[in-house]
Amino acid sequence: MSGRRPVPHSRRRAVLAAVAALCAALTTAVVAEHRSHAAESTASFQELEESLTCQCGCGLTVHSCNHLQCPSALPLRDEIRAQMALGKDKDTILAYFADKYGEKILSSPTTSGFNVMAWVTPFLALGIAAVLLTLMLARWTRRGQAPPGPASGPAAQAESPYSKILEKELKEFDR
Amino acid sequence: MVDVGALAIAIAWVFALYAVGMSLAGAYWRKRDFVASGENASLAVWGLTCIATAALLHALVTHDFNLEYVAHYSSTTLPIQYTIAALWGGQAGSLLFWALLLTSMTAVVLLQNRETNREFMPYVNAVLMTVAVFFLSMVLFITPPFQRLAFTPAEGQDLNPLLQNYWMTIHPPALYLGFVACAVPFAFAVAALVTGKLGDVWIRSTRRWTLFAWFFLSMGNLFGAEWAYLVLGWGGYWAWDPVENAAFMPWLTCTAFLHSVMIQEKKNMLKVWNMVLVILTFLLTIFGTFLTRSGVISSVHSFTQSGLGPFFMGFLALMAVLSVGLVLWRLPLLKSENQLDSMLSRESAFLLNNLVLVGIAFAVFWGTIFPVISEAVRGVKITVGPPFFNRVNAPLGLILLFLTGVGPVIAWRRASARNLQKNFLLPVAVGFGAGLALFAAGIRHYAALLSFSLCAFVMVTVVVEFYRGVRARQAMVGENPFTALVRLVGKNRRRYGGYIVHVGVVMMFLAITGTSAFREEKQITVKPGDTFPLGGYTLRYDGATGRDTPHISYLVGTVAILKDGKQIDTLYPEKRFYKKPEQPTTEVAIRSTLGGDLYLVLGAYDNATSTATIQAYVNPLIGFLWWGGVVLALGTVVTIWPARVAARGPVYVPSRGESVVRE
Repeated sequence: MSGRRPVPHSRRRAVLAAVAALCAALTTAVVAEHRSHAAESTASFQELEESLTCQCGCGLTVHSCNHLQCPSALPLRDEIRAQMALGKDKDTILAYFADKYGEKILSSPTTSGFNVMAWVTPFLALGIAAVLLTLMLARWTRRGQAPPGPASGPAAQAESPYSKILEKELKEFDR
Repeated sequence: MVDVGALAIAIAWVFALYAVGMSLAGAYWRKRDFVASGENASLAVWGLTCIATAALLHALVTHDFNLEYVAHYSSTTLPIQYTIAALWGGQAGSLLFWALLLTSMTAVVLLQNRETNREFMPYVNAVLMTVAVFFLSMVLFITPPFQRLAFTPAEGQDLNPLLQNYWMTIHPPALYLGFVACAVPFAFAVAALVTGKLGDVWIRSTRRWTLFAWFFLSMGNLFGAEWAYLVLGWGGYWAWDPVENAAFMPWLTCTAFLHSVMIQEKKNMLKVWNMVLVILTFLLTIFGTFLTRSGVISSVHSFTQSGLGPFFMGFLALMAVLSVGLVLWRLPLLKSENQLDSMLSRESAFLLNNLVLVGIAFAVFWGTIFPVISEAVRGVKITVGPPFFNRVNAPLGLILLFLTGVGPVIAWRRASARNLQKNFLLPVAVGFGAGLALFAAGIRHYAALLSFSLCAFVMVTVVVEFYRGVRARQAMVGENPFTALVRLVGKNRRRYGGYIVHVGVVMMFLAITGTSAFREEKQITVKPGDTFPLGGYTLRYDGATGRDTPHISYLVGTVAILKDGKQIDTLYPEKRFYKKPEQPTTEVAIRSTLGGDLYLVLGAYDNATSTATIQAYVNPLIGFLWWGGVVLALGTVVTIWPARVAARGPVYVPSRGESVVRE
């Protein structure tokens, strides 16, 4: 144990940078994918249906609502067709619906203004947690690689039989 | 019976309060008779709640429409199984049912621990009865199930037709069992915090309860998905509805706890984190009930909204403050000498798994409450629907799937290069191979390719684990492969049961990937004799016929399924018109094969022309979702099944001066 080298700072920094980069990449990819979906000029009827929420109270998208003679989904579908017939792109059509019915008709938040918080926060929180976890793991690893001192205190004594079982199991199962 | 039921709730409420008071007083003044009296009061609460539930059931079955609840949620024509299910079909009944489950579990916990955990039990009882007091308060003061009407209607308004489905008779009880069972580990955690006995005794005492809760949370979520698939008729099974999210979040944190607790048991680490997870899981079950009951966020599943929100919010806040306060108070005792040999180890993999699981739970939570935040901050109502949840959770889900393969086979403490090579070379090679084969077969959906590759990777890690275990037993004991497999699992139920659960999870990922990436659908208006192609089938609409019963009028469509010009099946999608309340519903028709489902919905129908609108879906691999659930259930049963003393292992033979410990 004492012969093991501590984790170099440069490697720790590299791990932290990699974690942060991964989280940033995930956020960027998710937002970019959402934007690219929104910006597709040749959006299909189904994509537009899926981008709008049915207002009948079913909680589903216009595409998924299958209520007979739904007072919301059916007129909305007609309206989508009419907008597509005008040759508008997806972004413009969705903006038209948001203007007419309010933002609540869009099935997911936009990627501008305050709504960016909806998309970024989960990955930001995860990124911060991942960085903290990496730092914590690095600290615990340094502690684990320090020369062992005499076991003391009630916790160490109570742990002793379990540690021995663990050692035995590890010998048995570790490959 | 009705008055008896109402009286039983009132007395149960008084007894529950008494149980809380006596348990705490008994613990404080160290009076055993006080504690015993508190426990007896809890058993009485259970008996009284049983009487109240029986009274409500009796009123439902005998159609006592003078009772508002019975008149609102049943009718004389409602089939008996749904009349019984009406017990949890409405607000008041579901809260009473919750109280029944909670007090029943309290009774079991008390009987289990008559001779053990005596230091914990006053606090365990006090916590469980505090929760019971809250739910009994709701049915006593806010939404009483035994409220009488000023007159007696001749007929009831009937149960919501969407709830008149087999899966609805088992989905809510399963989910409630999961939710309520989460209170037991929480109660033990609070007891451990109060008494300062923060070793792993409370964890070992509640391990089966946690698994029990997790099992029913899993089944509750799955049954709900099956119900949505069969009843809502939109071809899907999960819409990231707030109520679905409410049931999913505690499952995620409970799953995280089941993994991280292994590190505490093996290395005496993560005591604070495990406390946080147990508390969080319990709070999320209350938050889920708050979401369902309050109507603060609209949901397709919120059949019973009312003004209960503030009470639930208050209770949630109280529980959160008390539990966080206890953790902060005991922080010095909870701190453990955390240390790792290497960052490349199973401990790290489990912690990463926890990070991702809690990260997904947070993403779901955030998406669920963001409309409320947006309205509070901007004054603008917005919707956070399936596209958001799918995009945010898909990458996290894939990371989790990867860790599902890494966790079980990476070495504890330190993974050497040899360990990594030996354990991961084959799974990684097969994963890559599967991806390449699918690419060569023409699949260009890259997220699906990644998911299928990861599924192959995880499956191989599990299979290799079983294979090595069986080979080792064969070499050591000379057993045949089948006996070796059975004994291997039997002697290491927790470990191999966990692997079986992982197989179930992989099967579910296969289904989720198949239905997300490759679903085909078509909506078409047809007249009898018309055909249309979908997903390799040709569908021919042969017309529709009606039939009538006192409860429901049916319109049944006939659709012939052809493949390569030959008729291979006939499906009968239905439209049902419930008479009380007057509401149309769809009854989908499904042809299931290993490759997926052909799923038909009969939409609009024109009597004059006999034309019908048919929505048809092909859902590839969806059967793996349900069978994955069965495998997951099997794995949990293997893990939870009590081991015979002789079969328990490993047993540590102590040297002088040490005590014996069994796993």
